[in-house]
Amino acid sequence: MRRLIPPSPSKLVVFAILAFFLLWWVPFSHVLPEGFPLRFGTYRTFQGSMIAMWAIVALGLNILTGYNGQISLGHSAFVAVGGYTAAILMVDYGWPFWATIILGGIIAGTLGFLIGIPALRLTGPYLAIATLGLALATPQILKKYDGLTHGTQGINVRPDVPASPQFIEDWFGIKVSNDEWIYFLALFIAFLMLILAVNIVRSRVGRAFVAIRDSEIAAQAMGISVPRYKTIAFAISAFYGGVAGGTYAQVVGYVSPESFNFLLSINFLTTIVIGGLASILGSVLGATGLIVVPELPGLIDFIPGASLPSELSWAFYGAALILVMIFAPYGLAGLFDRLVRLRPAMILKKLSSAYERSSGALRSVRASPGQAEPPPEDRAPEDEPDAEKR
Amino acid sequence: MEEFWQQVVTGIATGSVYGLLALAVVLIYRSTGVLNFAQGEMAMLTTFVAWSVLQWGEYWVMFPLVLIIAAGMGAFIERVIIRPVEGASVLNIVIVTLGLFAILNNVATWRWGGIPKGFPAPPEVEVTGIRFMGEGALDIGPTVVSYHDLTILIFAVGIMLALYLFFQFTPLGLAMRATAQNPVASRLMGIRVGRMLTMGWALSAAVGAVAGLLIAPLILLQPPMMIGVLLFAFAAAVLGGLDSPVGAVVGGLIIGITENLVGTYTPAEWLGPDMKLTVTLLIIVVVLLIRPTGIFGRRTMRRV
Repeated sequence: MRRLIPPSPSKLVVFAILAFFLLWWVPFSHVLPEGFPLRFGTYRTFQGSMIAMWAIVALGLNILTGYNGQISLGHSAFVAVGGYTAAILMVDYGWPFWATIILGGIIAGTLGFLIGIPALRLTGPYLAIATLGLALATPQILKKYDGLTHGTQGINVRPDVPASPQFIEDWFGIKVSNDEWIYFLALFIAFLMLILAVNIVRSRVGRAFVAIRDSEIAAQAMGISVPRYKTIAFAISAFYGGVAGGTYAQVVGYVSPESFNFLLSINFLTTIVIGGLASILGSVLGATGLIVVPELPGLIDFIPGASLPSELSWAFYGAALILVMIFAPYGLAGLFDRLVRLRPAMILKKLSSAYERSSGALRSVRASPGQAEPPPEDRAPEDEPDAEKR
Repeated sequence: MEEFWQQVVTGIATGSVYGLLALAVVLIYRSTGVLNFAQGEMAMLTTFVAWSVLQWGEYWVMFPLVLIIAAGMGAFIERVIIRPVEGASVLNIVIVTLGLFAILNNVATWRWGGIPKGFPAPPEVEVTGIRFMGEGALDIGPTVVSYHDLTILIFAVGIMLALYLFFQFTPLGLAMRATAQNPVASRLMGIRVGRMLTMGWALSAAVGAVAGLLIAPLILLQPPMMIGVLLFAFAAAVLGGLDSPVGAVVGGLIIGITENLVGTYTPAEWLGPDMKLTVTLLIIVVVLLIRPTGIFGRRTMRRV
């Protein structure tokens, strides 16, 4: 029933700009003349693909951690399963890429379901460290059992990654390079997973996740099977990890045990907390932030006279994490929420009502000098983000 | 049999270091409920400071000086970086400690460079004719123990004992425990809760610094040196029970010994030294499944 009203014109404009940016500017702006502001090269297109892949993991992890309240530091393992499934099937068995991504997601989801069962007994930091063990073990397992995984040398997927099809050039007259084609693929997969996530979160299952997060006992009393939904959350989340892994294999074109070390898991958790827990928008913003923020120190060079030693770029990143957590405890999504509420019309309204109040108070003071009335107490309601988010 | 004892003794030594860092982790966890991911990097940075101090000073002059510097750094971090997010959710504070991790690691690389440096073990000390610390090894019947391994064990046990006495019998220690248990009631009793939290971080940083000083001679001094140790320390703290200091040290010892035995005695074809980390972690997970809050951990009551 929500979508019966057509979106407002301002929203349509925002969507149009966003679509233009994602579908044309990121892949094709390199055709613009050299020195054009914000002109993106091939590396930026690659980063766009990485953001898409990263957003898929973030969506999945956010369903588990943000909506269901189970902390996982083991998601690099699920991404590894997806990545290796895609790489092995494409290189050694000649499967088409789309089938390997789906199968990788299903295998990772099954693994997630199996891990979700023992995880039922653990909570908070104990669960975090147990899943961190999974992430630590993954590279070792991949190296040790090299009959299937090709061991430490990894698998080069590049020759088997789908090439840009000819029909696009025939039909539209645009030459799309292979990297640009991969970007569109990654963007498309991420878009599908985004729609899926929105629907899961709004469904009965999604509401059960949130109920369990807020109080397991209360959820149980409402007739929600806590073990069932907790393992389902793990399975869905791992499925997202697997799909992201398959996408990773296409985007990067190479998988190796060290591509999936535990630091990746920690970065995933950072992504969703920085983006905003229990927020779909937050997952996407977090993924974008994680890829873009390490690039920001380079921007300081544009300010004349200012410079940052390049060896300190990681410290800059750490400081950015701390500052976001201090000034935006609900992450980038919370910040976005607050910005949206600060619409110019709103500010004008607030100002005018404040003016009315002060002039009203003045008038009453003038009317009865000597016994000033206290100003009316109707303050504007506070613009805090929803208490539902943790 | 000699090899078995050799492995056990080596395991005890590395396990003691895991235990010490786990102790530091537990000290912060008990008061704030946060796993401090920057604990290892704090220890690494103080060890680098120690290295710089050693360029002009004696070992036993450096030792107390570095502990004071470490405590000051811990207090500073709590006041300036952790205090602003005190009321936020646990995950937020965890991310702040990850940010701290990045900063400390980067600053150490920037200031001291990434090339591994040798770091001295504590020099020889003689007390009433018995020799402690220094170079060489001691024959203890079934096997030999290097003096440095003994030193590590002595320090771990000594620090645990000192902390036990501190928390059990001194007014400050009792106040800190009270704060960890119930901040609101403690404040009502006139304890300065904020100050106690700062003290907790200072104490934890100092204990971590000892762990760094003792492990540095075994694994060369370099910026990433504490990452592996910290992961084992986390595992040790979780295995022992996150709110139990005794559990931290016991957990560290168990992990140190298990790791060595798994590396030596499992078939090398499909397990062996390459998989010792994986098998050790698997054992920890199995223990956690039987006791979800660790071996010495308190079970929490749940109320609706």
